[in-house]
Amino acid sequence: MSTFRRLAKGGRIDRTKSVGFTYNGKALTGFAGDTLASALLANGTTLMARSFKYHRPRGVVSAGVEEPNALMTIGGNEPNIPATTVELVEGLQAATQNAWPSVNYDVMAVNSLAAPLFQSGFYYKTFMGPFRKSWMFYEPFIRRAAGLGKIRDEPDASRYDTLHDFCDVLVVGSGPHGLSAAVKAARTGARVTLVEQDSKLGGSLLSEQNREWESWRNNQVNELLTFSDVKIRTRTTAQGLYDDNLVVLQQRHIDHDASKGKPRQTLVLLRAKSIVFATGSLERPLVFSNNDRPGVMLASALRTYLNRYGLAPLQRTVIATNNDSAYFTAFDLAEAGVAVTIADLRREIPSDLLSRAAMLGLGIFPASGVADVEGAKQVKRVQLGGAHSASIDCDVLAMSGGWSPTVHLTSHGGVKPVYDARIAAFVPGAFAASHSAVGAVMGDFDWPAEMGMPKRPYKILPSWVPVAKGRGKAFVDFQSDVTVKDITSAHDEGYVSVEHLKRYATLGMGTDQGKTSNINALAIMANLRELPIEEAGTTTFRPPYTGLAIGAIAGRTIGHHFRPTRLSPLHEVNKAHGATFIEAGLWLRAWYYAWAGNTPETAYVKEMELVRQGVGIADVSTLGKIDVQGPDAAEFLNRVYVNGFAKLPVGRARYGVMLNDDGVVLDDGTTTRISDEQFYLTTTTAQAGEVMSWLEYLLQVHWTELKVHVTSLTDEWGAMAISGPKSRQALQLAFPGADISNENLPYMGCLDVLANGLRVRLLRLSFSGELAYEVHVPADFAGALWEHFLKVAEPLGIKPYGLEALASLRIEKGHVAGLELDHRNTLDDLGLGRMAGKEKAYIGRELRMREAYQAPDRWSLVGIELMEEGAKLRGGAILFSTGDEIKGHGRGYITSVTWSTELKKFIALGLYQGGLKHEGEDIICAYPLKGENVKARIVSPHFIDREGSRLNA
Amino acid sequence: MLDRRSALASVTPYKSAQLQLGEARGFSLLQVAGDAKSVAKVAGKLPTRIGVALKSDNRTIMKTGPNQFWFVGADNDDLAGAMREAAVVTPLSHSRTRIFLEGTPARTVLAKSAPLDFHPNVFKPHMFAMTGIHHTPVLVHCVGANRFEIYALRTFALSVFEWLADAALEFTD
Amino acid sequence: MRIPCPHCGERDVSEFRYGGDATKQRPKHSEGDLKTWHDYYFLFDNPKGPHLEYWQHVLGCRQWFSITRNTATNVIGGEA
Repeated sequence: MSTFRRLAKGGRIDRTKSVGFTYNGKALTGFAGDTLASALLANGTTLMARSFKYHRPRGVVSAGVEEPNALMTIGGNEPNIPATTVELVEGLQAATQNAWPSVNYDVMAVNSLAAPLFQSGFYYKTFMGPFRKSWMFYEPFIRRAAGLGKIRDEPDASRYDTLHDFCDVLVVGSGPHGLSAAVKAARTGARVTLVEQDSKLGGSLLSEQNREWESWRNNQVNELLTFSDVKIRTRTTAQGLYDDNLVVLQQRHIDHDASKGKPRQTLVLLRAKSIVFATGSLERPLVFSNNDRPGVMLASALRTYLNRYGLAPLQRTVIATNNDSAYFTAFDLAEAGVAVTIADLRREIPSDLLSRAAMLGLGIFPASGVADVEGAKQVKRVQLGGAHSASIDCDVLAMSGGWSPTVHLTSHGGVKPVYDARIAAFVPGAFAASHSAVGAVMGDFDWPAEMGMPKRPYKILPSWVPVAKGRGKAFVDFQSDVTVKDITSAHDEGYVSVEHLKRYATLGMGTDQGKTSNINALAIMANLRELPIEEAGTTTFRPPYTGLAIGAIAGRTIGHHFRPTRLSPLHEVNKAHGATFIEAGLWLRAWYYAWAGNTPETAYVKEMELVRQGVGIADVSTLGKIDVQGPDAAEFLNRVYVNGFAKLPVGRARYGVMLNDDGVVLDDGTTTRISDEQFYLTTTTAQAGEVMSWLEYLLQVHWTELKVHVTSLTDEWGAMAISGPKSRQALQLAFPGADISNENLPYMGCLDVLANGLRVRLLRLSFSGELAYEVHVPADFAGALWEHFLKVAEPLGIKPYGLEALASLRIEKGHVAGLELDHRNTLDDLGLGRMAGKEKAYIGRELRMREAYQAPDRWSLVGIELMEEGAKLRGGAILFSTGDEIKGHGRGYITSVTWSTELKKFIALGLYQGGLKHEGEDIICAYPLKGENVKARIVSPHFIDREGSRLNA
Repeated sequence: MLDRRSALASVTPYKSAQLQLGEARGFSLLQVAGDAKSVAKVAGKLPTRIGVALKSDNRTIMKTGPNQFWFVGADNDDLAGAMREAAVVTPLSHSRTRIFLEGTPARTVLAKSAPLDFHPNVFKPHMFAMTGIHHTPVLVHCVGANRFEIYALRTFALSVFEWLADAALEFTD
Repeated sequence: MRIPCPHCGERDVSEFRYGGDATKQRPKHSEGDLKTWHDYYFLFDNPKGPHLEYWQHVLGCRQWFSITRNTATNVIGGEA
């Protein structure tokens, strides 16, 4: 059923360029310059959608982003896109949604018959009973029946990007006032960005026919193009305004092609020194019975379809208005040969309009409006009400309820719009110093002065409720299917605040965010409450202004680029030696090696045995490493660590623990004195960044009197642990000239050696409890040194061992690590209380003495041995005493578990109420997820070599 | 002699008609912290503000903190010994991987990567900035009209390179 | 949000790390009893409006500094 015909000439479409597209699979053509909506109208499609709840037939209401009805699924996978915003491109695939089997014959339209059910709060009232999870049960069915388009499960194949940009002046909107502001700013030499959501510059000028104005527009655009520092972004929506003038722009690209790296949309994060809002205004519908029938549209939209897209209604058009602007639609239609009748709610109509209407032979019904509309799938007849009650056959009904400034962006920063009775709409509230606004957004509906047009006083008769009662529904929010009656019932039920009304009636909650319905709705509520509109308040406008693809928000930060990966300098050799990797924070670490097995469960045991019996090599480059230098370096470390570092001799290392100010353990590690004024500090992998920032904070903010400089060396040095009874032999093979005897390099000793001209730092440390060394080397040489070790120590049977074995060996030794250092435990909880210096001050000294931190029944570190054949200990298991009921949080939990290759059983570290006071007692390790309750025993956390003879060998 | 291996040893440089992205190897980096006067006695003229590099003899000197400088020289530069008397010296040659980016779209690739203003009138040759690319700290140095050197942490270098190469994809021939 | 680093100039907030309240005087090292440290560490005002606080330019020059930020508007500068 056609409503429109394409005129032979006129408009901004290129009739020489035909553009093919499909609509519900059917091949159609339009012209270059068309939108999907205009091309569909030209192809005789008036009915474009079914409504959200009632599945009522709907047509296009607007010609822009405010479109509530004509939502389409584009390209098969992007739902809910207003057809009015889709630029027609060759091969475009559009499909209707929310209708089955088609928009013309939608079986769900029976919902209309059940209309009383779908009133305000319908979902809440109907689907909350009778049992507790009713809503969960009903929700999927409701979403299927009433709703929007569907998304597909497969990933979006398009590419999206993010770009940072800066400018002096941002002008939002390229209508006449925006163009004028941009040109003025550009002339001052400022760096200007002009943003326009349309594909063309000009805003409302694009809907005009006036030649002089068109040449003014061209001149403005051409002048802008002469400035090298003016950036024009069309197809770009200013979606949100954030702190410090960060404006998030969504730019859509016509020439996108993922295979060539060309994004479909770019999110531009623009920081503007100043912003000019030239966002214009949106026309409001009038509220009357059956105002949602296909063929009912905004008067300005009709003018746009006529003047920009060359589309004229076939028969008669009725125009209903309460202000002047709709007359210009009427005049242009009449000049295009369309029969027009005007119903004006006002009794007083400006004389210039009346005389021009008379000249064109237009019928005008003053003090009259629409009482009802006939025609289910298309407007057939309009029944007037008010002073005149004529009945007029027509195919298009255009309406204008006045204009609402597009205040959205101006209010994102928290500035509430204020009501301006002169234009019966909200205008922006107070502006920040760097903000200003021009044109319609300020309620100034005249052209810029430089265009030389006389000013025209804006006169509107506010009209919020139907002029006469009709038989059908009078819609306020087309997209969410909210009627005047819904608002009335919400009011009757006590939902009087506009914020409550909005949510209860689901008003303005659709993808259009109530762009056409907002003010009508709150005016109706204000009427019901007998309050002036300004006292009823407004809802809050939040970004984004229009819908945008989730992909645009993610940009390129997806998949492999979701986050950075941190690689050890030994990564390549680890790979070459068959490592399987595991993510540890941002690091990718060697988990276990192929020589030891195909699964971590079997491989780590072999790797442990290697270290306990021979010699292994492990990548420990991920340790945090910090260079601490300066005359006060020793004093500084003495303050930071709980134990003393002032008297640490040069060439010696010491294990240290640091606390937060609150007395909780922050980190541990080994620190070596390189010279009187230089220390080499190591941290755990996980806390490296935290510790670095903390040391800088102390030195830069609080202890500025200390002459100390700290620098991260984590990236500068690669490190490998050489561990096991044969590690000294391995080291000797690698560095044949170096004296690494027990005397020259004792346990906790440090030795810098020159090997083939390369400085290498040997630290005799042990995480595993065996005789062991750490070899630190400038990172670019780490790979070659690793291979050197594997080659020269091959006769000793040296092989690599991974993170799983590293972490298991230390459990046997009873060394705490990240799982125990969980930022909740104190020094005493970890059995390290005796390390704390008695005579010296250290960070956390006072607060660690808080009563609760010294309580005797705190959960503290214990060893746990499995006492049950065939069972397993599991990390996270909850610990109970044998007499306890297995319920609740228990008396502690297991932090770390391993198979002990020495004890041939499962052992664990854990935290247990009262700690080692319970040594020797039997406990139950409960693991409710698997229904396990296994017997175990509290033992010392030092499972092997308590006297340390291996370390010192 | 053990061979030196870069963090980017395994990557293929990116090259198109308008843009190149690769590793700029062969440099030494010495961090010197201390009072500017004493440092100047050894090193000569120093830059006075963070953000503008000074070319001096065969070195580029960058002020990277209130009392901290980076000396970037040839890979056999032996400034450290002489400097040790005057200031706190930390060799960092292995800690950074230097990535270069050159070509007309280079500034766009950077703008897609860091929240900095890379406009040619703002970020000019000799200027540098310490900022973040792909969540990791980098120093971006403008060494020519459209040539940049990016000092990335060695352990993040591959990620930063891959991020930039991905950003450059649209400029492939 | 943009933060003026005293050394590098105005930068994006994503380059910084928040460091908390800067209005309180940290007790001298080795001085102060449990109560002094308790009050220093745990008791904070939570003002709506200008607030003196620490930030570190962690992706930049790594320097710590204090600035006044309005907690309601994120406007930097002015008197706390």
